[in-house]
Amino acid sequence: MSTLQFLMDGFSIAFQWQNILFAFVGVLIGTAVGVLPGIGPMSGVALLIPVTATITSGMPTEAAAASSIILLAGVYYGAMYGGSTTSILLNTPGESSSVVTTLDGYQMARQGRAGAALSIAAIGSFAAGIVSLIGLVLLAEPLSNVALQFGPAEYFSLMLLGLAAVSGLAGKSMTKALMMTVFGLMLGTIGIDAVSGIARFTYDLPILYSGLEFLTIAVGLFALGEVFKTILEREHEDGTIAKIGRILPTRQDLKESAKPIMRGSLLGFFIGVLPGAGATLASFFSYIAEKKFSKTPEKFGTGAIAGVAGPESANNAASGGAMIPLLTLGIPGSGTTAILMGALIMYNIQPGPLLFDDHPEVAWGLIASMFVGNLMLLILNMPLVKVFAKIIETPKKYLLPIIIAISFFGVYAVQYTTFDLLLLLACGILGYLLVKNDFPVAPLVLALVLGPMIENNLRRALTISNGEFMIFFTKPLSLILLIVAAAWLLIPLMLKLKGRTIVLNEED
Amino acid sequence: MFKKWISVSLAGILAMGLAACSSEESSQAGETAAADYPERGLTIVAPSGAGGGWDLTARAIAKTMNNTGLIEEPIMVENKPGGGGAVYMAEYATKEVDNDHMLLVKSPPILINNNKAEGNSPFGYKDTTPLAQLTRDYGAIVVRADSEFQTLTDVLDAVKADPTAVTFAGGSAPGSMDHLVGILPAFEYGIDPKSVKYVSYDGGGEAVAALLGDNADVIATDASTIGEYMKSGDVRVLAVSAPERLEGELSEIPTFKEEGIDTEFTIWRGIFGPKNMSDTAYNYWSEKLEELSNSEEWKQELERNGWQSEYKNGEDFEEYLKNQEQLIVELLTALDMQK
Repeated sequence: MSTLQFLMDGFSIAFQWQNILFAFVGVLIGTAVGVLPGIGPMSGVALLIPVTATITSGMPTEAAAASSIILLAGVYYGAMYGGSTTSILLNTPGESSSVVTTLDGYQMARQGRAGAALSIAAIGSFAAGIVSLIGLVLLAEPLSNVALQFGPAEYFSLMLLGLAAVSGLAGKSMTKALMMTVFGLMLGTIGIDAVSGIARFTYDLPILYSGLEFLTIAVGLFALGEVFKTILEREHEDGTIAKIGRILPTRQDLKESAKPIMRGSLLGFFIGVLPGAGATLASFFSYIAEKKFSKTPEKFGTGAIAGVAGPESANNAASGGAMIPLLTLGIPGSGTTAILMGALIMYNIQPGPLLFDDHPEVAWGLIASMFVGNLMLLILNMPLVKVFAKIIETPKKYLLPIIIAISFFGVYAVQYTTFDLLLLLACGILGYLLVKNDFPVAPLVLALVLGPMIENNLRRALTISNGEFMIFFTKPLSLILLIVAAAWLLIPLMLKLKGRTIVLNEED
Repeated sequence: MFKKWISVSLAGILAMGLAACSSEESSQAGETAAADYPERGLTIVAPSGAGGGWDLTARAIAKTMNNTGLIEEPIMVENKPGGGGAVYMAEYATKEVDNDHMLLVKSPPILINNNKAEGNSPFGYKDTTPLAQLTRDYGAIVVRADSEFQTLTDVLDAVKADPTAVTFAGGSAPGSMDHLVGILPAFEYGIDPKSVKYVSYDGGGEAVAALLGDNADVIATDASTIGEYMKSGDVRVLAVSAPERLEGELSEIPTFKEEGIDTEFTIWRGIFGPKNMSDTAYNYWSEKLEELSNSEEWKQELERNGWQSEYKNGEDFEEYLKNQEQLIVELLTALDMQK
């Protein structure tokens, strides 16, 4: 049977009435999970596993497995749609993958363009969902092999490229951006080192063994920092900021977003395929890439719609891409996909190289249902934009306590420890002080994600090669990535130098 | 408004699911239970986030106990993550030491973390009352299908000849479970375990990916998860750490002992009570857990999760933990990683 035939069979499963219902319930809960910062996609999916198991208990195993995984996957990609909402409206990222959306999304909301930002996020997510599904259908097999080729050396070079691109997140001062990057890298070293098993900067406190939680720090720096700023600097001029213009993006907005959405979708999909890299990194890379491609990079950080469209497409595409290693290799690329895998195993269906042969109805039914689910999400989300956008009209004196409450609930619901609440508070104060003195916090957050990955993969690669650094240059993929990273840093410098010489020549 | 509507409908859906659960429970629950214990709701703690092995085990116990009516008091499952279980261990051994209504699910890290120098947990199984071992799994030594290594001794001989030539990988940091399982045969074979080249990944899945992608030569992982890759012909399992041959798809695979390496390692999961548990509570749980392990529902639950049943009562379990601890201390000492 051809792929198309399998896909058609998949659609016949996805279009069974109960599966349409399951997909709808899944994406609905997913949207809620994404919007409410109290609960992330991972805990959302985990909590629903026993519920779906109960609902489907009367069905034959295969059909039950297909139906539950359709619902659970709906929660997963539905959360990616919803995740942008609080980032844009309240500067409070609900999921780590929408941290970067706060940079321009929140600025747009302050200018009264919340509607446009939210709609473009939904449209971008839809486009990305479809792109990644087409990729999943056509490229699952070859890409799973590429994902395997990605060893420690390749990961190291990819992450180094990410770090080289950190300049894209700099505000006014490059030096300050670099200082923040180093600070983030240092924070990333706290905890038990995964390569040697040595505890670093833990001071024998077990709570520090697993390191600092990324989301806690991001919410503290962005959301609480902004709250403190608003309170301390007494921004009373509510009315001027809160005015909402139109809900739908203008033609100009759409034109500016089309290419970022396409690029974000492709980038996100390919990064999503790599286990361990994931949606957060995809959104950061997309943002940095858009800034690089933009003709007006200075607009980024002040409400550029491309800065919302790109990352939001990328994180959604990444969740589609992450399905490839999960389904074809049985390798979960992220915490949420690990839980999805656990759900499949509960039904005695082992994701892995045999899944498409042994249980085609589960695999293809899921893929087909994701087409249906993405369409549902678009239809569901567009009217919601109007409703959500109203939130920003709430007077500050009501809005600020809500943001604080959401931040605390959100962090506690994910971490269950009071330590993280203290950390959240400390990061809030730090975030305020940093922003006040023009230190950009985004490089810190990116470095915190990248730092441990760079370090671990560097050391894994060197262990494999017995300490030989040539491993990074002899592996072709790694070499290409390193060349791109070098070009990224050197070309602007060379252009600058060249520009100067030309000027000098003219003076001669 | 709409946001409210969503959260209401979310709550509604959850409630529907819960209602479905509870109606089942009440219909199946029958006769009365013991008089003075439990006085109130019971809690089983999984010292990790939702979805991991401890969490699934705790939920399986709670669900089966309630569904079968063995225990009528509602059993809650709480997640207390942090420090690979060490954070809650400290709380359990100090604040909850007299709380008969609080139980804990654990596995070999309770021994390992208590005895290693780095990332040490100051409290171990001696600060609890072991109630029962419920499940078991074993470590497996795995190579790629096209690997030159045909037997475990091939691997060990190659390591002996040149430790830098063979890359081991596993899903956890040095001094934790996958590492110890991988190193154990080498140690018993007379190889200095410190010289073995071990690369740790974030979880068993990534370790398998490293093996398949030719970034590792040998991996140590759980026997229960590797079967699928063996069936598809991608990998070969060289040996398992079980005392005797496994059933099912790994029945052809020799044990360490058959390969001439006299050792074994069980990845068990068990349930623990607080150190000062009262006799009433101890007897209550011993009886209920024994009944649970014999029940048909528990067997189905194990099968659903792909776990192997192995029941040891409190006394046997404690004896077993003592022996296992010795092995682990010995291994950590050889690695220079002991406390």
